Amino acid sequence: MKNPNVLVIGSGVAGMEASLILGEAGQKVYLIERKSLIGGQTIKFEEVYPNMECATCMIAPKQQEILQNENIELFLLSEVEQVKGSVGEFKVKIKKKARYVSLANCIGCGACYEPCPVSLENEFEEGLSKKKAIAVPCPGALPNVPTIDPENCLRLNGKKKECQACKEACMFDAINFSEKDEILDLEVGAILIATGFGLLDVKNLPQYGYRKAKNVYTAMEFERLYAANGPTEGKLVLRDGETPKSIAIIHCVGRSEQGYCSGVCCMYSTKFSHFLKHKIPEAKICEFHTDLCIPGKSHQKFYQKILNQGVDFIRFDDIKVEEKNGKMQVIYKNGNGEKAKFIADMIILSAAMIPGGDTESLAKTIGISLDKKGFFSTQSEKLSPVATAVDGIFVAGCAEGPKDIPGSIAQAEAAAGKILSILR
Amino acid sequence: MNEKIGVYVCECGPNISERIDIDRVLEEISSAEGVKVAKKFGLLCSNDGKNYLADEIKKEELTHLVVAACSPREHEQTFMNVCLEAGLNPYLFQLINIREQCAWMISDKEEATRMAIKYIHAGISRVTLHKPLLKKELDSIPDVLIIGGGISGIEAALCLAGKDRKVYLVEKTELLGGMVKKFSELLPYQGSNLAVIEEKIEQVQNNENVEILTSSEVEDVRGFLGNFEAVIKSKSNGSGTKEIKIGAIIVATGFKLFDPKNTPQFGYGKIENVLDALEFEEMSASGKILLKNGNPPKSVALIHCVGRNEKGYCSKVCCLYSIKFARHLQDKLPGIDVSEFYSDLCLPDKADQDYFEEAKKKGIHFIRADDFELKEKDGKINVEYKAAGGKKDSIAVDMTILAPAMVPSEDTSKLAEILNLPLDETGFFKEVHEMLDPISTPIEGVYVAGCALGPKNIPESIIQSQAASGKILSSLIPGKKIEPEVKVSEIREEFCTGCQTCLSVCFYGAISFDEYKGISVVNEAICRGCGSCVGSCPSGAIRSKHFTYPQLYREVLQALR
Amino acid sequence: MTATQIDSNKMPTKGAIVSAEEGINKTIVDIFKKSLEKKCFDAILIPVRVPETEAYAWVLLKDQSLLDEANPLPPIISVQGAKALRSLTKRGKMTQNIAAILRPCEIRAAVELSKLKQIHLDNISLISIDCPGAMPLSDYLADPEKSKKIYKNVLEKWGENNSVRPVCHICNRFSLPSLLPRKSEETSPVEQDEANLPSIDLHIGLLGGNQEKIFLIPVNPKGRKILEELELKSDDSLDIWQTKVSEVQDKKEKIRKEFNLELKEKIEGQEKLTAMFNECINCHNCMRVCPICYCQQCFFDSGALTLSPETYLSRSEKKGALRFPLDTMLFHLGRMSHMVLSCVSCGVCEDACPMSIPVAQIFSLVADQTQKSFDYAPGINKEEPLPLQDFLEDEFHEVETPKEVN
Repeated sequence: MKNPNVLVIGSGVAGMEASLILGEAGQKVYLIERKSLIGGQTIKFEEVYPNMECATCMIAPKQQEILQNENIELFLLSEVEQVKGSVGEFKVKIKKKARYVSLANCIGCGACYEPCPVSLENEFEEGLSKKKAIAVPCPGALPNVPTIDPENCLRLNGKKKECQACKEACMFDAINFSEKDEILDLEVGAILIATGFGLLDVKNLPQYGYRKAKNVYTAMEFERLYAANGPTEGKLVLRDGETPKSIAIIHCVGRSEQGYCSGVCCMYSTKFSHFLKHKIPEAKICEFHTDLCIPGKSHQKFYQKILNQGVDFIRFDDIKVEEKNGKMQVIYKNGNGEKAKFIADMIILSAAMIPGGDTESLAKTIGISLDKKGFFSTQSEKLSPVATAVDGIFVAGCAEGPKDIPGSIAQAEAAAGKILSILR
Repeated sequence: MNEKIGVYVCECGPNISERIDIDRVLEEISSAEGVKVAKKFGLLCSNDGKNYLADEIKKEELTHLVVAACSPREHEQTFMNVCLEAGLNPYLFQLINIREQCAWMISDKEEATRMAIKYIHAGISRVTLHKPLLKKELDSIPDVLIIGGGISGIEAALCLAGKDRKVYLVEKTELLGGMVKKFSELLPYQGSNLAVIEEKIEQVQNNENVEILTSSEVEDVRGFLGNFEAVIKSKSNGSGTKEIKIGAIIVATGFKLFDPKNTPQFGYGKIENVLDALEFEEMSASGKILLKNGNPPKSVALIHCVGRNEKGYCSKVCCLYSIKFARHLQDKLPGIDVSEFYSDLCLPDKADQDYFEEAKKKGIHFIRADDFELKEKDGKINVEYKAAGGKKDSIAVDMTILAPAMVPSEDTSKLAEILNLPLDETGFFKEVHEMLDPISTPIEGVYVAGCALGPKNIPESIIQSQAASGKILSSLIPGKKIEPEVKVSEIREEFCTGCQTCLSVCFYGAISFDEYKGISVVNEAICRGCGSCVGSCPSGAIRSKHFTYPQLYREVLQALR
Repeated sequence: MTATQIDSNKMPTKGAIVSAEEGINKTIVDIFKKSLEKKCFDAILIPVRVPETEAYAWVLLKDQSLLDEANPLPPIISVQGAKALRSLTKRGKMTQNIAAILRPCEIRAAVELSKLKQIHLDNISLISIDCPGAMPLSDYLADPEKSKKIYKNVLEKWGENNSVRPVCHICNRFSLPSLLPRKSEETSPVEQDEANLPSIDLHIGLLGGNQEKIFLIPVNPKGRKILEELELKSDDSLDIWQTKVSEVQDKKEKIRKEFNLELKEKIEGQEKLTAMFNECINCHNCMRVCPICYCQQCFFDSGALTLSPETYLSRSEKKGALRFPLDTMLFHLGRMSHMVLSCVSCGVCEDACPMSIPVAQIFSLVADQTQKSFDYAPGINKEEPLPLQDFLEDEFHEVETPKEVN
């Protein structure tokens, strides 16, 4: 008799979609999420291509459904520690870190943030702003309940054991400093890995001037810059407070290093241009790319529209960023082999997609292999693009390889389907 | 007035209680017509709160329930469930949003309180006009019709067929396998060889729960999710028709190639030895790659993006299969000179770039170019082109293989009409939501998978088939009843003039025209309650069951008092 | 597609010139008699004077002899012709070939109703005619002889006097062939004809004929066939007709523009508009005679707007007074919002108003402006969908951001 429960690792669009399909079918889903909020990377975007739909509005109904569906049990701040067994009878150990704030009692009023004396860099906001030691990562985070960072909280790290400023401000008795990390034992019939992606760390590619030249941003930082719930509330100001007048967006950052094209960057870079043209109509925008990868049905039409709005698309062979006399320059060799330069106030780097989280350790824990590029490996030999070599363990979304949102959703639905056919 | 309305205001912690004078609200609304009891509570959505409400409903014998709290998006369903369990019809309930729409928006407490009172009054006057709508349950058939016997259709059939679920696989031609069967090989990292496809075809043929109907086409489809009826016409067997009953449909009709005759600069159909991709696949599958004169080619040009500008989209797979052809040519005809002409290299999958790099290493020339003109010269094909950088050049080859755009298959528009499915600008089937629902159609229970939706490679087609199957496995469970939407539209016969405006605006195909009576009719099993028809009816003959004019007017008039 | 400008390149150039020595009415009636004889049609729908009265009624004629009392252009419009067509074909299409001769506004109303599936135009040959307008109904009823004399003058001196109804005086759609939809330049004239979507087959031109001749103008191949069957050649030049139509059209456009500007002043703003309807007794006659108001039950006749006595009492208290009948402005503005996109300015509403409110003039003015913003001309193009049944995702961006209001 196969255990009907399913473990889904990761609550991005892929993890949520699979959980909802499985939940609707009556299976019990344990949804494990490493962070303190659900929604993955999509909630960081303001708009998504090609229709410029509001990303957060788009997936909010799915997030709500996840929080309210009685078949889905959500474990936040949790990671998989150990997996034993085989299909139909996996035994999984989950480490659930303490949140120190009760999900049941807290109503998200936010009264506890202000009195907290500790300020630290906000990882969600890509370091562009700060947050308190007790905070939600961004306005609109779901669930709308803060977490206490035990390393920085003065009470929990021992530096000021008597501090309870947050607890005093809370009217609902939601804060509990004595909450402990837990280890939970779960029994499931199938496992789905949907741990998503991150962006390549461009610090390791010095030719792009990241962190050396003043206003070089990664794509994720730019996403937060233009998000309405981001650190500048959507206002386009550079680190020095100025509004950029000439912007360079560089595609294919890390492509040759990683050895693959990420398939989505040309489109999201064009999306950036669309936004920039709208916000700063007089700005000069230049997109630098090697090949233009725009495979979707409606993508070429969108690209054409942006081209017609006066955004330049320049093909390059070689490219680097330099700072000269306080100004940034993009120095490149164009398609004809000629050297040229473009002076920019702002440079956005569209970096390669890499697997999210600590894939190596997760792969080892679960007992499946990674492919040459570091993504979870699937049984391509049997034309089974969601199944891993281990029966009962599936992958969906960017954890399997770079892809766009509809690709992740389709893969998640496919994995859910496969799981349903095994467990029934 | 026999109503006994219970009005409960949620304090929502400090969220509402700090910004609105709840006691005054209660004072004002308790004198409203029909209100039996008006009370406040700390947190109504908590377990305590829900139990409290259930108790109140029973104790006070309430006929209607009004809760003033947060947004219906948050807890409308929660309180409707409370009503259901307490024995009160869940549609005799109204949730008034005094949090997001009052407390959280209006900083002046006076003003917020005044607005809250208005909203609650409006809700109270509306709720008495609610009808106790009943949930319906319909039996459903778990069987599935799959239209198209290519790789997508076969994969879906394999995923779905089971003891309690029959699958009908309808294929227009005589054989299963679709386009993939014509290929000589697959891209190596996608699946080692065609044996995988042959295996799948064999599996589906041996599966006793799959009925394969080759040389057959779908002629007509009627019905809705869980209860479709389809008429299949068979071209063999003396053109008989067969009627089947299914619960869901997957359209997997694949693609065909753009006809390069429409781009005369490539000389297709005029110059000898200019082939398109499928012709080359067939040639290599036969084992003999030969020119028209019977000799093997010594030089080949592969031209990508044929028809791309005409169609307005990139077909995603051509760069890769052209590289596949190049490598295949090198394997079969060592020493052959191969040149690939492209505008942008589209290599979006993680293993593609390695494949391309290896091809480069094997000496295949990659030339970025456009503005092609192919001419016959001295028994060879002269490919004139403009390279990146603007320089004009040309190359003489024995054979040219064109990679044309993928376009929707032959019967796409006919099938779209039969199934009432929209097509997008490119002519492929249009998905409900490009981002969040890439394989569903506006017709519930009808899905599309594979290249019928747009150009894609084999693994992606398989994923989409599995996704469609997943959705069906999850929503169409044998023995489980379908619960259609309750808050649907209805047409009042005596007012309908048969103008059919509602029919033309219904996205879901839920309205049909009764020729005999001369009026339009709503199919309540398909209607999703979106209300487009209600807004469009020039005569006001359609109304929503839960948003009738009297209800709306009462509410608005009360709010404007 | 607005069609208030004519492009003489698109107007039909050839037709049959028929002598009208015995009078225009008799000439036309004779042609119809012949058409029944030759079996071009099985029946004719035409206004016929009710014997021994001055009234006119729509009659579906099979008996030729009754045509003697027929008049294709009566001095009044008593019943809007589109309503007659609606009665005929609401339940299904015509099973025999009939010809229906209607005024341009009646034809346009019929086309609008066909888009709403209230009229089936199959097997109906719509024949239009140059129309100088109609006399105000109340004037005619008070003194028919006088009106008939004035009308004779009107026919002779097109557009030069304004004794016709105000909406007729300013009418710029009096000759349908001049409003043919613009097709692309590439289609040949023959293809233009076939692509011509006004549903008229034949047009009777009166302008330029000086009461001595009429022009039978085929608008499409079917029209040409009819002329053939009537043994009429259709290769006479229509130059004089075209010239006269253009001339009158220019005049009318000017008159209309000026008139509407003046009217706009008179009704702009809530107070002025309400004052216009001061005398309204809420009889709903205007709605009842309007061809576009086809609903089984008009919303404003339904109980939706009746409220409880308490509500009325409290309204009376709040405002100090409550006037009856209630909701007159609501009725007019509501009816306007329901039908104005299809309003063809036929004016039967104004004729029917017992209180002589200039309702047709007001509705026409609003119709012009609203139809313009949707770039829609009602009743010209059979295939053009009604604006509210047809929408693009990407349109009307200009109304998204509210303009500064001074």
